[in-house]
Amino acid sequence: MTPSIPVPAQWPDRYGDELYRFALSRVSDSETAEELVQETFLSALDGLATFRAEASERTWLFVILRRKIIDHYRRQARTTRVGLDEINEGGPTEADFFNPEDGHWTNSQTPVSWLNADAALEQQELHEILARCQERLPPQQGAVFAMRFVEELSAEEICQELGLSSANYWVIVHRAKLQLRRCLEKHGLGKN
Amino acid sequence: MLLEQQADQSAAKSMSASLWLHLRYCPYCNRYAKQTVLIAEWAKAAATARASSDTALSEAAKQRMRERLAAAG
Repeated sequence: MTPSIPVPAQWPDRYGDELYRFALSRVSDSETAEELVQETFLSALDGLATFRAEASERTWLFVILRRKIIDHYRRQARTTRVGLDEINEGGPTEADFFNPEDGHWTNSQTPVSWLNADAALEQQELHEILARCQERLPPQQGAVFAMRFVEELSAEEICQELGLSSANYWVIVHRAKLQLRRCLEKHGLGKN
Repeated sequence: MLLEQQADQSAAKSMSASLWLHLRYCPYCNRYAKQTVLIAEWAKAAATARASSDTALSEAAKQRMRERLAAAG
């Protein structure tokens, strides 16, 4: 098979839409998604000499884009402080969900049944609500949640990328999930 | 928090055992445990669905990119 030679001038037409959709599935606004695609093309151009054609041009561009998205999450996470004390300033804490005396769920935050969750909301609607709830997370929590559950990086990789201790990481993941559950319920999940 | 650690297989065996016991006797915690798994699955599915949509870059954006590439090359 003859290795294809990248033609940068053709990238926007050949791969632009696909890369843009991927970026837009990870970030909340079209402008940022567009910037990520543009940065991907420029980085690829810079690294053109390193392209070996072992992977396809498309795969290579996606690898670069994924790296750009991780960098985006890292910038997002760093808009807030990462110390354990400061995590408390990034939104609700366990005290908003659990009774401090016995550690049980407070009455208002008790998880309701999602038994018919899939039936209650159309899948598209569920995805839109979840995306809105993710956007409402404090920046650091949003970044950690996306890196773990959308990009599927390991806890170790995320701690390394964001300079988090393991203890901080688990607190952030836990709080993000608590808030997402609450947000989803506020928007109709479990009220069927 | 232990739920998350267990899902990532980062919790010690003794912790996992006490979590398992706790979940047996705390129906709300058990319910929450299932919900956290669903939230993670939905987040991935939602991103995948968005990536497969028919959204496209505008022609103006593509033109800007072509120009930047030409200028940088």
